[in-house]
Parts: sequence; structure tokens; C-alpha cells
Amino acid sequence: MQRHHQFWLAATAAVSLLSLPAMHAAEADTIRLGAIIPLTGPGAVVGNQEMRGIQFAIDQANAKGGVQGNKVEVQYEDNQAKPDQSVLSFNKLVDLQNIQMIFTGYSGPSLAMAPLATRKKVLMVNAGAQSDKLRTASPYLVNTLPSTGDEVAVMVRYLMDKAKKTAAVLYENDAAGIGGRDDFLEQYQKAGGKILEQEPTQFGQTDYRPALLKLAGAKPDVLYVVITAGMVSLVDQLHQMNAPWLVAGSTFAADPQAIADPSSTGFIHTQVQIEAPPALMDAFHKKYDADMDFFARQYYNAAEIVLTVLDKVLSEKKPATGENLRTALFQIKTFQGLIPMTFNSNTATVPIAINEMRDGKDVTLTTATAQ
Amino acid sequence: MLLLQLLVNGIVTGCALGVVAISFSLVYSTTRIFHVAHAGVYTLGGYLAWTFVTHGVPDPLALVLAMLACTLLGAFIQAQLYARLERRGATHLIVLIASLGALAVIQNIIAAVYTPNILQFPSAWAARVVSLGGLRLTFAQLVTLGISLAAFAGVLLFAKFTPLGKRIRAVASNPFLAEITRLEPRTVYIYVIAIASAVVCLPGVLVPFDLGLQPYGGVTPLLTATIAMIAGGVGSIGGAFMLSVLIVVLQNLSLMVMPGQWSIGITFFIFVIFMLFRPRGLFATG
Repeated sequence: MQRHHQFWLAATAAVSLLSLPAMHAAEADTIRLGAIIPLTGPGAVVGNQEMRGIQFAIDQANAKGGVQGNKVEVQYEDNQAKPDQSVLSFNKLVDLQNIQMIFTGYSGPSLAMAPLATRKKVLMVNAGAQSDKLRTASPYLVNTLPSTGDEVAVMVRYLMDKAKKTAAVLYENDAAGIGGRDDFLEQYQKAGGKILEQEPTQFGQTDYRPALLKLAGAKPDVLYVVITAGMVSLVDQLHQMNAPWLVAGSTFAADPQAIADPSSTGFIHTQVQIEAPPALMDAFHKKYDADMDFFARQYYNAAEIVLTVLDKVLSEKKPATGENLRTALFQIKTFQGLIPMTFNSNTATVPIAINEMRDGKDVTLTTATAQ
Repeated sequence: MLLLQLLVNGIVTGCALGVVAISFSLVYSTTRIFHVAHAGVYTLGGYLAWTFVTHGVPDPLALVLAMLACTLLGAFIQAQLYARLERRGATHLIVLIASLGALAVIQNIIAAVYTPNILQFPSAWAARVVSLGGLRLTFAQLVTLGISLAAFAGVLLFAKFTPLGKRIRAVASNPFLAEITRLEPRTVYIYVIAIASAVVCLPGVLVPFDLGLQPYGGVTPLLTATIAMIAGGVGSIGGAFMLSVLIVVLQNLSLMVMPGQWSIGITFFIFVIFMLFRPRGLFATG
């Protein structure tokens, strides 16, 4: 039994060692990257768009001859947006296939893999999750999307400029909602604002009337909303109340149905403005028979960044290790992709817009950066 | 005025919940089946109506068609699931598990067909606001209130004055005696679940006009309705309805003195204490 076990260990080690040079070498024919994203389960809608965004960029690069003559290939692992599954996928890609760069999304899975990325020096690029903890989770985890704290910073500055000095907060009683609430409470009070009242709701709840009535009783200048679902009902119920406050929110509030409802006129929210040229949108639609939505654009942009970094590393005749890729990313620092982006830290500084919902449309009022 | 608005909102939501409670009470007091799949029928009613409305069917007709579909589904569940299990001597626990299974099947089919996202009825009238003094109510709320009260009165009258209602009460009172007096309890059970399914379809459609549709949205109303039924006294239609209104009003008003995450817990804690002193419910008879 013991001998049998030793044989398999030796065989696994041999296979790993044999595959190692192929992954590392700059002169290899195919460079393999990884993506650990949800392809089934509740997160699949977003995950599949992320996959399309990455693959679209990779296919375009390969059609032009690849990176420094090397074809690029992405191996996709379905993590169902679960942290435990993500760790298994990470170990599979890194330990068995020696993949040195992984695209990731969703805060929980990214945070679960972050210590492994640090230990194994594998570059992870997150273009979809916004938890504040992602900023410092690992030196090898870079985020191309600002954190919720960044969005709140821009919103707080705007509210102070408009002399909205008192606020009430309606938040979802889960990680995303509580995180957004905490960011707002801290930054708003630090900026001199006063929080008059706060009220939780449950995820998926659509009857906000009792909570809104209670918050209205405090008579705040602004109602800050941190909910990830049910915006349409909230818009209807706020319209019913006819409350005089300004309603503000983050990207979570930018539900297309809520924007299309004229009752939402006057609501403001922060929004990362990542736009794609019409030709690119058309090509994407032609290929996938689907619109290139926010997440597809985000991951297309992230893939473009990775390809640029890879090009630099290979042109310098260095092996495409996680460490070299990370160093090259911070050396390049500024990327002009679908959105201008600068890496002063692990989280990119990008323009964040303040949008106002107005008669069924989302109108940009101003644009700023968190830093 | 804030207090009054909270109170009125609570009464509207409570009346809709009351219809869920009386329909569940009708089933449970007659068949003794803990018909958890009732939550699935409630949810499916809303989705069917939404499908009809989005295909151009007028809203009232969509409601009627959804009620018919729910009636058939209820009869099917009784005839093809519960009755079969009963013939094979299944215990109450087995029937409960089967009902839970039916609920899971209905919910997951809905989620697969319609996606788990929140869907809204494309009916502009529902969100129109009516001001009554200082009170502001939507049309959807007013219609829900009116139809729920009418449904409550209708079920009460049906149970007391119609031949089928009397037959149902007789079977509920003593199934064995009903069997030997040829009241055919098994047929009555099919009628009861079919009627209850049609009744529960009313809030199943009207509430989503106001608050939207979700595949797993029927469980919480059913849980609250079940507690209202028990606290009101099993078999008491009036008790189930009134306790539903009371529970929701209490939940709404409790927000004035505590954060929202505590309101459900505190409300039910009060009822646990209440049940300790009156375990048969407030309006229990016999």
C-alpha cells in the first residue's frame, strides 16, 4: 500500500516537473492563463459575461499573432462563486498546471485565494468585486475596479459640496450592504456630516415602506441606499412617499429598470464609466449574440491589461512568472484601455462618475477619482 | 401621521397575508395536511398572471386565468400526491416531506423558467398614488385591500351557507363519520385544496403588482400565515385572518421603537409567550 502511494507521489511530481519549463519559458508556443469565475449557479449570469469578455480579448490578440509570437490560452474553472471551490481550483491551476496569472471575481472567492496568491507568487486580477478588504488582501491581487470605499468617497465629496449635511442610511443586512453602510458612516461623519438614522432590510425584500417611513421621520437631507436587489420597488415606494430628501447610492443602485422608471428622476449614484467603442460592441454582439455589458467590458479591459503586461515581460526575455508579471504591471502603471487606469496601489485609480437618473435616462453630472 | 401611515400599510399587507392564512387554514383544518406546497401555488399564481399580462392579456382576466390554473394545480397535488400517499399508508411526516418536495420542484421550475431575478408587472396603474388626507396609498395597495377583504368575507359565507361549505365543515369536524355518511372525504379534500389554491392565488397575484415577483418569495408569507392560523385557533377562519393583520401591524409599528432586524424576532417572541398561556389559539372552539 505504502509503495503504491509512493509511486503515485513520484509520478505526480514527475509530471509537474516535466510541465514546469513549458509554462515558464518565454519561448513557449502557448502561454496559459487561468480564470476562476462562476459559470454555473446564481453567479453564472455575471460569470459567463466575464468569461466572454476575457475570451474576446484573447481571441483578438491571437488573431493578430499572439503576444510576442506566442499564442495565449485561458483555462476556465467554475467556482460557482464559492470560496472553498475557488481554493480547490486555484491549487489545481497553479500546482498541477503551473499557471502564473489568474482572473478572478466576487469578493469571497478572491479573498479566499489571496493568501495562496501571496504564498505562491501568482498574479490575480479582479475586475468585478468591490469589497474594501480586497485592497490589502495580497500584494499579488490587483483590482481594476474601485472598492466600495472609493465610490463612497466620491459620493461624500459631492454631497458635502451640495451642502447635504444630514443623512439616513437604508442598507441590506448582509456583507455587501453592511460594508457599504460602514464606508458611508465613516467617511460621511469624517467629512462633517451627521447620520440621523439607519435601517436594515433583508436581501430580496421588496417592501421598504416601514423602513422608509421610519427614516423619513428623522428628516435627513439625503437618503443613502445600499441595496443590491429590489431597486424598482424602492423607486415606486419612494415616489409614493413623496419625501423631500435626495436619494443617493452606489453602482448597486444603477438597475436599468429603475433608471428607466421616470419615478426615479432625481436619484443620484456613483458609477464606474467603462465604455466600449461601437465597433467593439458590434463585434462582441456578432460573436456571442449578446450585448457587451458592464462585466464583459470590465473583463475585456482586464484581459487587455494582462496582455500588455505579458508583452512587456516577454519582450524583455523574462519568464512569465507571477512575480515578473506583477513587477511589469506596476512598472507600466498607467493603462489606456476602455477606461484610463493608474495603479498607484493594488487597486486602480479610475474615474468615478456621479450620475443622476432623469426621465428614464442616466445622466452624468460630474466625474472624479477617489484619490 | 407617520404612525397612521405605518398602521394603514400594516393593515393592507396584513389583509393580503390574512387571505394566505385562511386558505391554508381551510386546507389544514380539513385534511390535516401541512400543505407547504401552498407557498409554491401562491408564487406560481403570480408568475402565471405576469406571463399572461406580458402577452397582452388584461390584468383582471390574467388574475382569473391564474386562479383557474392554480385551482387545477391544487387539485392535481391532492389527487396525485397526497391521496396516493394516503392510500399507501404514509404518515403525516412523509406527507409533509412530499409537500416540501413539491414546493422545491415548483420554486425551482419557476427560477429556471423566469430566472431568480425580481420581476415587475408592466402595469402602470399599480404604482399610481392616491392621497387620502395625509395618507398616501398606491392603487395596488387599495386593490389588494379591497379584494382581500372581499375574499375573507367570501370564504366565511361559503363555509357557513353553501352546501359544499357545510360538507367541508362536516368532513373537517369528523372525517370518520363523514366517510360512513357518504360525504366522500377524499373528494372533499380535492375540492378543498382546489378552492384554497384559487383563493391563495389572489394575494399571489395582487402582492406582486405592488412588490414584484421572486421564485422563493412564497415561503415567508406562508410561515407567517401558519403562525397566524395557529395563534388564531386552528379551524377559525376569522381568527387566522385577524391574527395575520395583527402580526403585520405589530411588525410595522415595532419599527418605531427598535431596528428592523429585531421586529420579526420580537413579534414572534411575543406570540410564543402568548401560546404558552393559550396554546389552542385565540379563537379556538370546542
